[in-house]
Amino acid sequence: MPPVSEPPDAGRERETNSVYKLLLCVRYLQTRYLAFICIVSVMLGVATLIVVNAVMSGFSTKLKTRLHGILSDVVIDTERMDGFAKYDNQGRPLFDHHGQVMGLSPDEMIARIKENDALWDKIEAVSPTIEVFAILQFNFQGQRQSKPVKVIGIDPRSRTEVGGFSEYLVRQTGATAPTFDLTPQALKQHEDNKRARDWNAAPTPIAPNLPRVPMPGDIPEPDPDIMKAAMPAPELHGVIPGYSLAHFRFRNEHGQVVEEAVLKPGDDVTIVTIGGGEIKPVWGTFLVSDYMKTEMSEYDASFVYVPLHQLQAIRGMQDRCTALQIKLGNYEADKLFVTNELRKLFPYPDVRVDSWEERQGPLLSAIEVERSILNILLFMIVGVAGFSILAIFTMIVSEKYRDIGIMKSLGASNRGVMWIFVGYGLLLGAVGVALGTVLGLMITDHINQIEKFLTDLSGRALFPRDVYYFKEIPTNVAPLSVMAVNIGAVAIAVLFSLLPAWRAARLHPVRALRFE
Amino acid sequence: MLQAENLFKTYRRHAVQVRVLNGLNLEVKTGEFLSIVGASGSGKSTLLHLLGTLDAPDSGTISLDGKRIDNLPAAERDALRNRTFGYIFQFYHLLPELSTLHNVLMPAYIGQTTMGWWKSRSKWRGRAVELLRRVGLSHRMNHRPRELSGGEMQRAAVARALLMNPRVLLADEPTGNLDADTGGEIVRLLRDINRDEGVTIVMVTHNLDIVSATDRVVRMVNGVVTEDSSCLKPFPASQPRLIAV
Repeated sequence: MPPVSEPPDAGRERETNSVYKLLLCVRYLQTRYLAFICIVSVMLGVATLIVVNAVMSGFSTKLKTRLHGILSDVVIDTERMDGFAKYDNQGRPLFDHHGQVMGLSPDEMIARIKENDALWDKIEAVSPTIEVFAILQFNFQGQRQSKPVKVIGIDPRSRTEVGGFSEYLVRQTGATAPTFDLTPQALKQHEDNKRARDWNAAPTPIAPNLPRVPMPGDIPEPDPDIMKAAMPAPELHGVIPGYSLAHFRFRNEHGQVVEEAVLKPGDDVTIVTIGGGEIKPVWGTFLVSDYMKTEMSEYDASFVYVPLHQLQAIRGMQDRCTALQIKLGNYEADKLFVTNELRKLFPYPDVRVDSWEERQGPLLSAIEVERSILNILLFMIVGVAGFSILAIFTMIVSEKYRDIGIMKSLGASNRGVMWIFVGYGLLLGAVGVALGTVLGLMITDHINQIEKFLTDLSGRALFPRDVYYFKEIPTNVAPLSVMAVNIGAVAIAVLFSLLPAWRAARLHPVRALRFE
Repeated sequence: MLQAENLFKTYRRHAVQVRVLNGLNLEVKTGEFLSIVGASGSGKSTLLHLLGTLDAPDSGTISLDGKRIDNLPAAERDALRNRTFGYIFQFYHLLPELSTLHNVLMPAYIGQTTMGWWKSRSKWRGRAVELLRRVGLSHRMNHRPRELSGGEMQRAAVARALLMNPRVLLADEPTGNLDADTGGEIVRLLRDINRDEGVTIVMVTHNLDIVSATDRVVRMVNGVVTEDSSCLKPFPASQPRLIAV
């Protein structure tokens, strides 16, 4: 028999040897087809979580963008219908010689803010507004329509500087100085409407033209030509209604959502609201000059923008306003400082100073809570995958009793045997997570095509666009969220493999070798 | 070299207790080929497991070169099984997922650090290939155990047991699952290893035909050694013969 060479020097550091653990993990993965059930479970759980998170995050981000978009960074507003009021040092309102509360004009408020240099430095733009509930009336197909709305009086230029206005205008999208002016087409529509109204007006019966008998002391008849010359042409005021107010959406006979403009540029609307000083109805007539399309159904269905000075005139508010919209240079860095300083400047019971997040706090919290709950519920899918790992690993450990005995007879430690199965769980989890991440990202990337395919297949709209006003399902893949899902799924795979691995490690080698 | 003194071992299963070893004494000398025979349940395999630190006695001591090994910490007993003892089993006990070569290399995989393995992997592989050639399996290196015959699997198990150059081979009925010819080949292989390399071999067997290949035969009855004698008749070089002890 030929001699065999000596074995290489085998200096042992027993707890750092991983070769056999890795080799067996990989071989078990390649040969145990039961393991693919674990991989598929983890993969589906991870993919679902990634898709749902991406869609929820997409909705949330888009909603936040929209919510912030139309709101300024910081808002100062008052509960008073007649606008901001002046107060003395004791916090009591000041009255003029008519017994009326003295108003605080936007210029006076801005001047007060400017006195605080540190505060003013952080403010980029300010715009006064009036916000009040109202009834919007207009004619549609010969019938008078009335809708409850929120009328917002703005100065379009300064409101644009604050942000969240011109970017949502349909005709003047992104204009640096949008106006309420009517286009020639709108003016033509206005003239056409007038003619149509005159045409449709029923002819009044004309009394027989009897010669008038002059009476003593009669006021002489006015000269019609002089009357016409002295009368100024009526001023036309523009109005910008929300897109959904001006457009009706309905399903046609084929079940398709169709949209019809009920207020065209140049159409006139009447806005009825209450006076600023006294509780009495006031109204004004405006002509549609543009639309506001924020894709936020609540805003688009209830907001109506009119010129600030005109709303002040109608409501008898002179130069007062009910809110100051403020844009900050660096919102995230300065929001706390600015709101605190403004609260110190206007510490009145009817004045509120809020950042846009505070103003929308309940809605933003609701979205976050919804997302968290959904995540917890969906993570149970991965939990189910974990239980399938537990069940399958228990079976595999039972199958591998003898192998465990062999390894122990060859010098493998209990811990080494345990790590084979924990490593196996880790490997299954990692492969499942990798495949699930790829699948989840692919589904997220093609979610609109998938939705369209499923809608065509089932004949039911999975994502009704008339509800959400989004053209597409919004998605936002947050790398941190994907990473958290990955780590969580791998951790669950490892966690659920611990018990079978521990059982394997505790197995007595002699009993294992005798196992049939 | 390997000494067992006053060994007691009882297996308990629920309320049932079975005393397997009953104050056994045995000494295995360096370089000898010892066979242990006895009826089923006489405690042969249990003794082998105790000698190889796979199990611990209830009482009594086991010493290797005068040093007690039955009460060593788990890590040191693992190291002994990895480097000092080599096991050969009746049912071969190869890992079915691995090729013959990987099975032979398994003790080195277990005993080496990752870095140590990486540095000396070619040497280990060379030794495993040499051992497989020596046991006549060089053409079966990349085959899985299920593709090998019983004799081939047992030869692979012998190669695996020899990889770490152990001082003691513990063979638990190595021919029990083989036909007479193949069993004879395995015993001849063990005898050659014993003679050529001086490896001490303790072999448990039922088969009285093969004990003539060994230097010494020990008979066990009810957990104690009842006979201890040297084997006088030579084991045939090529054709095994039935020889009673």
